Amino acid sequence: MADGEACGAAGRAGILPEQKPAEGEQYRFHFDMTRCIGCRCCEVACAEQNGTPIEINWRRVGEIEGGAYPVTQRFYLSMGCNHCLEPSCLKGCPVNAYRKDGATGIVLHSPEACIGCGYCTWNCPYGVPQYNPARGVVGKCDLCYHRLEQGRAPACADACPEGAIRVELVNIEEWKRDYSSADAPGLPAAVHTLSTTRITLPDPIAAAFERADHHRVRPADPHLPLVFMLVLTQISAGAFLFLAFLPGARRQAALAALAVALVSLAASTLHLGRPAFAWRALKMWKRSWLSREVLCFSLFAAAAGISAVAPAAPFAAALGVAGVTASAFIYLVPARPAWNSMRTMADFHLTALLLGPLFLAAWGIHVPMLVAAIAAAAQLLNQILKLLALAASDEFELRAASRLLTCDLRALLLARMGLLIVGGIVLPLTGRPLWALGLAVPAELLSRYLFFAGVVPKNVADSFMARRAA
Amino acid sequence: MNLKRLAGLDILSEEYAYADDARFGYVAASRAADKWVPTTCGYCSVGCGMLLGVKDGRATAVRGDPSHPVNRGKLCPKGLSEHHTLSARGRAQYPLLRRSGKMARVGWDEALDTMAARIRGIQARHGAQALGVISTGQLVTEEFYALGKLVQLGFGTNHYDGNTTLCMASAVSGYKRSFGSDGPPGCYGDLAQADVVLLVGANIAENHPILCQRLTQNPGATLIVADPRVTKTAMMADLYLPLKPRSDLALVNAMAHVLIRDGLYDREYVERYTTGFAELKASLESYSPERAAKITGLEEYTIEHAALLYGRARAAFIGWTMGVNHSTQGTETVNAINNLALLAGQIGRAGAAPFSITGQCNAMGTREAGFASSLPGYRKFESGEDRAELAALWKIAPERIPAARGLAYPDIIEAVLARRIRALWIIATNPAVSFPNHDLIRQALETVEFLVVQDGFHPTPTSEYAHLVLPAAIWGEKEGTFTNSERRVSKVNRALAPPAEARPDFDIFLDVAGRLGMREELFPGWQGPRDAFEEWRRVSRGRLCDYSAITWEAAANGGIQWGGERLYGDGRFPSGDGKARLWPVDWQPFPEPPSREYPLILNTGRTVEHWHTRTKTGAVRVLDGMSPRAWLEMNPRDARALGLKPHDRVSMISARNRVDGVELRVTEIVAAGQVFMPFHFAGTNANRVTQSAYDPISREPNFKQCAVRVEKTAAARSAGRVWKSRP
Repeated sequence: MADGEACGAAGRAGILPEQKPAEGEQYRFHFDMTRCIGCRCCEVACAEQNGTPIEINWRRVGEIEGGAYPVTQRFYLSMGCNHCLEPSCLKGCPVNAYRKDGATGIVLHSPEACIGCGYCTWNCPYGVPQYNPARGVVGKCDLCYHRLEQGRAPACADACPEGAIRVELVNIEEWKRDYSSADAPGLPAAVHTLSTTRITLPDPIAAAFERADHHRVRPADPHLPLVFMLVLTQISAGAFLFLAFLPGARRQAALAALAVALVSLAASTLHLGRPAFAWRALKMWKRSWLSREVLCFSLFAAAAGISAVAPAAPFAAALGVAGVTASAFIYLVPARPAWNSMRTMADFHLTALLLGPLFLAAWGIHVPMLVAAIAAAAQLLNQILKLLALAASDEFELRAASRLLTCDLRALLLARMGLLIVGGIVLPLTGRPLWALGLAVPAELLSRYLFFAGVVPKNVADSFMARRAA
Repeated sequence: MNLKRLAGLDILSEEYAYADDARFGYVAASRAADKWVPTTCGYCSVGCGMLLGVKDGRATAVRGDPSHPVNRGKLCPKGLSEHHTLSARGRAQYPLLRRSGKMARVGWDEALDTMAARIRGIQARHGAQALGVISTGQLVTEEFYALGKLVQLGFGTNHYDGNTTLCMASAVSGYKRSFGSDGPPGCYGDLAQADVVLLVGANIAENHPILCQRLTQNPGATLIVADPRVTKTAMMADLYLPLKPRSDLALVNAMAHVLIRDGLYDREYVERYTTGFAELKASLESYSPERAAKITGLEEYTIEHAALLYGRARAAFIGWTMGVNHSTQGTETVNAINNLALLAGQIGRAGAAPFSITGQCNAMGTREAGFASSLPGYRKFESGEDRAELAALWKIAPERIPAARGLAYPDIIEAVLARRIRALWIIATNPAVSFPNHDLIRQALETVEFLVVQDGFHPTPTSEYAHLVLPAAIWGEKEGTFTNSERRVSKVNRALAPPAEARPDFDIFLDVAGRLGMREELFPGWQGPRDAFEEWRRVSRGRLCDYSAITWEAAANGGIQWGGERLYGDGRFPSGDGKARLWPVDWQPFPEPPSREYPLILNTGRTVEHWHTRTKTGAVRVLDGMSPRAWLEMNPRDARALGLKPHDRVSMISARNRVDGVELRVTEIVAAGQVFMPFHFAGTNANRVTQSAYDPISREPNFKQCAVRVEKTAAARSAGRVWKSRP
């Protein structure tokens, strides 16, 4: 018995701080990589604590490997939420479902407030917030906030047989000055969000560690409602841009462009886990580009409607351009490096400049087709530049995105470029605007599909074997 | 999905609600419990104490028992999700009898009457020995004790063995030869008290993770790990010995050689407490570090260094598991380990022991009480005195107790193929996945005249072949005791009733005895497992595994170690002369060296998420989700030579058969020339390629090394194979 008691004392002591956070402090995780043996108790304990389904893992154990036999090293990374000082999940949320708790620093998420837009899942570089399709909302690690309130350890730390996961206090100002121990091989850089998780690394740690999940990059969710929403809003915005400058009333075309905008807004709600609460997305227009996008396109639709009876087309045009710009800003997030480029901005606007004129031409309105052809050529150039930049990058996520586009998604990529050349350049210049529209729209839909499917998000290293999906 | 859900008005708030469990605090409401039943884990033999939560007739959660001395509240991922096994899909619910090729539900009376009649009929025609029984390490000791009497005295066959022969038989044989009796001499506390810990072929971080706590507690100790694969445990080592497959015996012999050469052995201990030193010394002459370096592939100085660390240790511990046991030289390797410990006098003291880390939760119980590889109480079949003593305790004629052990597990299977055994009763084990050289067991299961499979799950790859399926209760649904690796007898309790018509194995055994008209004779006045326990206490009195001081109540309270914390502290061994025996043992290469056609050496093993053949863990969604498929580890050099990439689906082919569609992991964890694959997965069963080669003493199969080649799986083969069911 004697050794058992000793074991208990060693096992329990020190996994929680003695005191609650003082002013200027917050809770955080400490993960000791030298202690972790990769048993994955923390993952199971977390799933049991929160009753999450198997495809959702608020705590995940990943692997990194380096060295050569027999001097091989494999280490494990057990990560929950990092309760960042600058949480990108919170900043992007259009409905204010997140808050950083003042007393504890814990980043808390409210499923009741959440509308299931999933924007936080794009913003977090660690893959922490995870969308639960069964509920239609996101969920995440809350450092077992309520257990801490009870003076109990979080489930993961409580379950760890090696004492590798602990909760400790961090002085916020000091951490802002030096957060270097938040970085580890297999983890995105802490600089983006100021992760608070402190990691004890083995000493020495071999220089070249590779993530065990390195070779199993798969196409991401294509978000079909968003594919349609983006292309359709861009058609509509592009159409109004030209309507604003073309002389004469074009009521029929304006109404058609309005209809396209309305369909696209309806399509966008299908992307939400809780479409009934889509209106809430307006809430955070001061902070979230998603809110701003919704706001711009709502006003755009209103102005477009008014333009049928009053000369509001220039207002609609301006709001449309603002909407497309806001759309693009949504995707300029460090956690998704393949999106995080002004090429995305160019991409969205060029689609508007390509499809807007073609759309109007299809209604018999005379628009100079050279504009569309130039936009298509620029779009083609933009695509090629993107591929070159991805391939040349030394960033894992960008190179992996390049592999996705040029291997897994190659057929779609070639189809898109072919359609763009024929529908965007050849047919407009040969005076077949209707045919041009018929090919250019699929080209841009494919482009958006590739945009979503061909991204490799930043994330914590995972295990070698893909988990079983639901 | 309803409209409210689609619109987002309903977010399943109730299903995802939290509650405040009175004992364990804030937790998902689905995991809160009304009652916490103390029990012992039903997976491995670390023997963790746990609390099984029950609410509304459903098992809701498992918690490590904070007061249990083995694990102090911690559990591995299998233990943490063990409650899910109770409500898992695929539980056996009703007795099923094969009628014109199809399984039909029958009542218990018909099932057991049929079983008794068919077995008795076969025995009448072909002799009592025409029945073979293969049991397990998963039952409670009371069930093993009852089953042993039922099989040996009731059915009158001694062709009775357990799947423990696929696991610990070499340790048992090695202990018997070295010390005169089975029984692991050390305890877990030794890991925390040794200053040198040598682990041979033991990946405890993967397979017994809760034991790693003891090493964590002992940061001053030097950990030496000998394993051909850079396992999770090897990565914890201070000194890692990446030896060639199955060269451990040469390594251990060379260490003993150095101890003798440098006068580092304990002369006094050897003289007073052992025999056979002269022969051992002579046999070790040829095991110079130089020669051992050639055999093991290690550097000479590394072997010297390991030997000196061990020889100079104040307290040195040697732990081993399947890397040693799963071998045609398993017993002899155990003897080499015991030799080393005896030479250094590293036994019977705090931190000092040779120690087998057992596999199944109650493999120890069947060894003690099971009446399979020995008579209950570690008594010997061949000892007239032991037989007479036992007969007197049971008040039966001594002649009824067999004077020799019957066939061991692999030999039972061979005897089925030779038509000497015609009826087979398989209890709580899944040989269709776990037995080496799958084709052999498949033939046996297909050809046996009458096959009874008694299991908590159906269908399993084995029960698919059955003529009669008896649905059994599993862990959580029955009561009794388990003995863990360190001889700790702990109580297992019932928290729930078994599903539908499933019954505890104990009740089934008593009922079968009733059908033979022998219930009162074999089990006089028995009602429940406690009656068996009380009889077993009397039967074990005075033996090494003496339960007489252990009460039913005391076993419930953190368990009690029979024999105390350690065995052999007084240097007295249960052999004829009271001394331990030093055995000269000679290294031999493993039976199937790589060849041009099959150039790679396959090593098999486990992963932390799964247990044996996944009958249970494959049905626990969280574990299956984390580790859904088998994989094959291959060194990058071999992968390059074969033009294979990570995540390719590959086929592994041996002289026996092939496995297709295994996901390739290219990794420096394994040496060039070797591959590794976990054996848990029925669909990609590593045992389709392993060989029929057994230790001549223990009869344990050589699971660990065989020659294979690997190639990319052709598309036509890549669809996962399903279990082959009986025609």
